[in-house]
Amino acid sequence: MKTDEPQTDSLRPMTDIQIRQTREFVASLNSKSQTYWDMVTVGDELSRDLHITAELVILYADAVEDYNPWYEGWLMNLWHIEGNSPFGPAIVPPLLVSHFVLSVQFDHTKPFAIGSIHTFHDSEILEPIPVGATVRITTRAIDKFVKRERRYVRHAVTVTDTARGTVYFKETRDIMSL
Amino acid sequence: MNSSNNGAPQPEGLITPDTPVGHTLTGVKKKAAIQLMGSRLWGRFNPNHWDPVYAAETGLKAPIQTGEMSSAYLAEMCVNHFGRNFFTNARMVCKYIASTEANEVITTHGVVSEKKPKGNGFRFTVDIWTDNEAGEKKTVGWVEVDVGV
Repeated sequence: MKTDEPQTDSLRPMTDIQIRQTREFVASLNSKSQTYWDMVTVGDELSRDLHITAELVILYADAVEDYNPWYEGWLMNLWHIEGNSPFGPAIVPPLLVSHFVLSVQFDHTKPFAIGSIHTFHDSEILEPIPVGATVRITTRAIDKFVKRERRYVRHAVTVTDTARGTVYFKETRDIMSL
Repeated sequence: MNSSNNGAPQPEGLITPDTPVGHTLTGVKKKAAIQLMGSRLWGRFNPNHWDPVYAAETGLKAPIQTGEMSSAYLAEMCVNHFGRNFFTNARMVCKYIASTEANEVITTHGVVSEKKPKGNGFRFTVDIWTDNEAGEKKTVGWVEVDVGV
C-alpha cells in the first residue's frame, strides 16, 4: 500500500526484518529522560579521557567523507601505520574532538531528552593532535539563557594531552534544549 | 595540485601572504546521505538524524544532519586552502541557522574578508557558509588563520 506518510524505509531500502529492528530500536530510546536544561547547573565541571585511536579517526573521516591522507593511521592491508602529515605522523581532523564534547558536557550515564540541537560553536584549534593521543576533554557549564523563548545551555571546553599537558583545543558551544 | 601528493592538500595550503581580501575559496560539495547521518559515530541516540518516521512525528520534513557534519565540511575546505596553518592557532566560529535535510546537496563557501599584519605574515579572516542547491544558507561563520607568520 502506498502512502505519503514517511516510512522507515523511505530513504534507504530495507526488508521487513530491518524495519522491525529499526522500530524496536527507536522505541527503546524513549526511556525516561531529562532535558539538557534540567541536567545542567551553571558551574558544573565534567571531564573524561578519550583515546583517539587510528580506527576512531577513520570512523569520523569516513562519516564526513574526508579522505585526506594526513588523517590515516590505519589503512586496509597495511593496518596500523605511522602515517604522514605536514607535522610528521598522521594527525586528527581539526574538529574531531569537538564532536566528542557531547559525550562529556552532560552526565553520559543518564538518558537525556532527544531532540536538543547544537546551535553554535566558537573553536580554537591550537595545536595538531597526533593520531593515538589520549586527550582529556573538560567542560564547564558557564551559562543558561533564554533567547526568543528558546532555552540554551553554554559550555566552555578545553582539550589537553593527558601525557604532555599540551592544550590542543578550546571551544565555547551552545545547545538549544527542549 | 601536486600529482605526487597522494590526493592530500598542499602542506602550506593555497592561500599565501599575497592572497587579497575578496579572494573566493573553492568549496567542497556533499550529499546528506542517510547512511552517513545514521553512522554510529554520531551516537544514533537521536532518531531525528536518521529515522524518517520519528522525524515526521516531531514535525520535521525529513531527518536532519547533525551540525557537526556541516562544520567538518567547512573545516575540510579550510584545510584545502590553509594546509598546515589551519592546525595551529586557528579559530573557527559556526552558527547553525537552518537544518540540513536528508538528500540535500550541500556546498561550502568562503571569502577572504580581512587580513591583518602579524609577524612576518598575516592573520586572515574568511567568512564561511554552507548552502543547498537552492542557495539557502544552512551554516554561517568565519575562520581566522595565520599565514606566513
